[in-house]
Amino acid sequence: MVNAIVGTRWLKLFRDLEAEWGRVLLMVAAIAVSIVAVGAILGAHAVLTRAITANYLDTHPAAATLDLEGDAGAAALVLARQHPAVADAEARDVILARAQVGADWRPLLLFVCDDFVAMRLNTIERLDGAWPPATGDMLIDVTATAMLGTEIGRRLRIKTAQGMAHEVPVTGRVNDHGLVPAWQERIGYGYISRETLASLGEPPVLHELRIALRDPSADAAAVAAVANDVGRQLAAHGIVVHEIRVPPPRQHPHYKQMTTMLYLMLTFSVMALVLSSLLVANSLSAMLARQAREIGVMKTVGARTGQIIRLYATLVAVLGAVAVVVAIPAGLMGARALTNAVAGLLNLNVADNWVPLRVFAVQGCCGVLVPLCVALVPILRASRTSVRATLDQHGIGSEGLRLRTGHFPLAVRNALRRPGRLALTVALLSAGGAMFMTALNVAESWDRNIAKIYETRHYDVEVRFYQPQSVDLARSLRELPGIAVVETWGYSPVAVAKQGQIDVVRAYPDRGHASVVIMAPPTAMRLVSFPVLAGRWLRDDDTDAVVLNHAMAAQMPEIRVGDTIDLSIAGRRAAWRVVGLVEEIGSVGAAYVAADTFERIAGTGGQVRMLRIATLADSPQARVDAIRAIERRLDEDRVSVETVLPLTELSMAMTDHIMILIRLLIAMAVILAAVGTLGLTSALGIDVLERMREFAVMKTIGATPRRIVVLVLAESLFIGMLSWLAAFVFALPLTLLLDTLVGNLGFVAALPFVISPGPALMWLVLIAAGSILASGIPARRASQLSVAQALVQL
Amino acid sequence: MIELCGVGKVFPGGQGGFTALDNVELRLPAGEFIAIVGKSGSGKSTLINLIAGIDRPSRGEIRVAGTPVDALDESALALWRGRTVGVVFQFFQLLPTLSVVENVMLPMDFCGTLRPRAARARALELLGQVGIADQADKLPSSLSGGQQQRAAVARALANDPALIVADEPTGNLDTHTAMAVLNLLTDLTAIGKTVVMVTHERDLTSFADRIVTLADGKVVGESAPRASVRNARETADA
Repeated sequence: MVNAIVGTRWLKLFRDLEAEWGRVLLMVAAIAVSIVAVGAILGAHAVLTRAITANYLDTHPAAATLDLEGDAGAAALVLARQHPAVADAEARDVILARAQVGADWRPLLLFVCDDFVAMRLNTIERLDGAWPPATGDMLIDVTATAMLGTEIGRRLRIKTAQGMAHEVPVTGRVNDHGLVPAWQERIGYGYISRETLASLGEPPVLHELRIALRDPSADAAAVAAVANDVGRQLAAHGIVVHEIRVPPPRQHPHYKQMTTMLYLMLTFSVMALVLSSLLVANSLSAMLARQAREIGVMKTVGARTGQIIRLYATLVAVLGAVAVVVAIPAGLMGARALTNAVAGLLNLNVADNWVPLRVFAVQGCCGVLVPLCVALVPILRASRTSVRATLDQHGIGSEGLRLRTGHFPLAVRNALRRPGRLALTVALLSAGGAMFMTALNVAESWDRNIAKIYETRHYDVEVRFYQPQSVDLARSLRELPGIAVVETWGYSPVAVAKQGQIDVVRAYPDRGHASVVIMAPPTAMRLVSFPVLAGRWLRDDDTDAVVLNHAMAAQMPEIRVGDTIDLSIAGRRAAWRVVGLVEEIGSVGAAYVAADTFERIAGTGGQVRMLRIATLADSPQARVDAIRAIERRLDEDRVSVETVLPLTELSMAMTDHIMILIRLLIAMAVILAAVGTLGLTSALGIDVLERMREFAVMKTIGATPRRIVVLVLAESLFIGMLSWLAAFVFALPLTLLLDTLVGNLGFVAALPFVISPGPALMWLVLIAAGSILASGIPARRASQLSVAQALVQL
Repeated sequence: MIELCGVGKVFPGGQGGFTALDNVELRLPAGEFIAIVGKSGSGKSTLINLIAGIDRPSRGEIRVAGTPVDALDESALALWRGRTVGVVFQFFQLLPTLSVVENVMLPMDFCGTLRPRAARARALELLGQVGIADQADKLPSSLSGGQQQRAAVARALANDPALIVADEPTGNLDTHTAMAVLNLLTDLTAIGKTVVMVTHERDLTSFADRIVTLADGKVVGESAPRASVRNARETADA
């Protein structure tokens, strides 16, 4: 006999669980789902942060790159290596070329190295094919093969600054873990030797001197200081250094994106856990309400308050523990799946899939403690009720009717009878709804921001040249059919200059991440209209005025309108007065100055390095045709083109960068919505169950089954609508918070605050459907129960 | 000995609340079968709840076998109740998910009187005494009303309390079964227990050693019919 071994109160607990297995299963499932999510995200976070750092550090990233005017030859290498803080130095170069993909040309970064076998800094992983690449051959990054439509054994047609197209055989595939995946950047990565560079008609010069420091923990300032010191020594020996590039030390270019995304997901998981705990508390509260008399009896026969608390707290802890046991393996599988998905997106090798024990410990603690803490409220309330009060319980009372509710419909008054329960149910549903709406609002805000790319840029394609071109080129292109406007823009990479120091920019070897540029719009600019955040846009009579875009301003948070900044264009410094700040979505940091002044300082002599062209195209295909026509004309004119960037490519690159986050947010929102609906089902089911006797009385005095069904459905809908309203209000600050967080991650600026009617309506429909579904079955049961049966329910 | 000194009980609600008991003075000797009678709303159940420590008085003092019941804190009161008082309810109040024997074992578990194996043995013995040992492993719902009330009596005796309080114990039973349950309660006085029973059925008071009559929350009469019979017998025998 079990009862001869186990204490009777524990037997009661077990039997109660057995008697309510459906509800128990619901509670366990709700906790388990959240714990799976917590485990999956924490596990993936642990594995991915380890992997992303290990992958990046395995490439032995250079701490700094010194951009020399001439070749980083033996003399420069010796000088750099002699510096006491420098551990190693290598010569490299990165050439921006173009590769032909079908009828179009795509940007291609060519990484040039003297000796691939002896490569020690910014190393690449050899995958298959030739190693090292022979003279005239090229290796290609594995993440670029699909985008470039090529593979080992095929030839890729490429153009460099010299303008001539060359067929280069692709002989091997490599994996560069130090870079963002090529498909995400919409740019190809190729690897060639100095000899191959020469065979492409380029000067066989490696301009980059990359250095690694002896102190592996040096911060960016320390790295910049050493690099400046090396630069000064080189300068003392007649080697000119234009610029120093220092990427964030030991940090993969997408480290912040990844961790922010995982933290966001974790926040949602924890919210899901809180929701589940509310669901448990709600169900438990109902269970305790039904067991009020039993608690009274137990107290009468000697149970102390502490014993009752321990009894029901153990029940919740056991439910949590069961959920944790179920959730840990599922969470582990989830962690593996999420890890693989993110690793695929970021091109990471996950050599070590080991999830640290602390993740399981956190799952265990969350799964048991969070529901326990939330459930303590109803447990304490029930266990502290006096014996007489519990013995006097006769089902749902009307203790909540302190408000004057007499003029409310009956369904509303019923819902208000248990204000505590109602608050808990509404909190549960509204939290789920708020997060559902927030996720979709943020997705909408993201789309709205992407739309700004088109709203503020009225051109279809941007063309950059290696060398400044005559403005006649613009006239020539304007004559092409289908071209509406051609604007000539001054353009150059730029650095924020500091007195007595070589220019330092925070850029990765791909030069894309964290770089800054200076642009000079034409006087009668028509193709761009950025919203002014502070100050004003450029005027025709401006000389030393500069307008910064928000991405550049974010790099210099101390700068205000009216301040003066020093910018260095190809080593030529000038002081500029900040007259305005503009919002420019989808751009690196940019400074806008007057064309005349730019021409004078950059020494372009009336020539231009960038064109922005608007076409007359009214369809995507017409736009592609127009761009191809431009390409053909430039080819005929033998103009050396650096990039041809259709606006659609920019938008696509921005979308690819963060769409995964939005999708995951929506996935989390769906989970939350599911937990919320489970909560509603549970709460309404309980409410109806508790009032069976009352329904029987109503039937006795003439209520028809249809009337009872309508009453229950109306009450359910009232709760659903109340929660929808609360969810809508709660979604406002939550959307604002996530807009700021996600916007800063993707655009260095908060996303526009958008409260879209779509998600609110979707949740309204969902909650209405959920309310009807949740109450439908119990309402039917209530209406079909015979009066005699119902009266003996309590 | 049960002593109530100036006991009053006011329930909140309405203007100034509802006075259920007003300045009750009572001294009830141990080892007797005491019946508390009165009309509905006279304060019978309130009085018995106060004696059993189920409720607290608004004023006055209650001492049961020397213990100041009104002065105990909640935990001490629960423990005292479990060990000193056995309660029999009108609607039996057996826990539906526990078997009959488990219901009887429950007070022993909460008060830590006996370990589960010994508690089961005692529970079976008590069920034997009330005549339903063969029903021990059944759920309460499968028992008749009379059997359930016998089980409730067995549960009330689980911790061998000195005081048994019964609130309308026969109110939900047929006459034959009610008599059997009353005999059961009467027999308890023979083994030294004090039984305090609330009833509104005057007929049942013939079983009582002492009758306390309540009206409008006040003690309006106290008699000891069986004591006088017993005294008369003892005098005759002498």
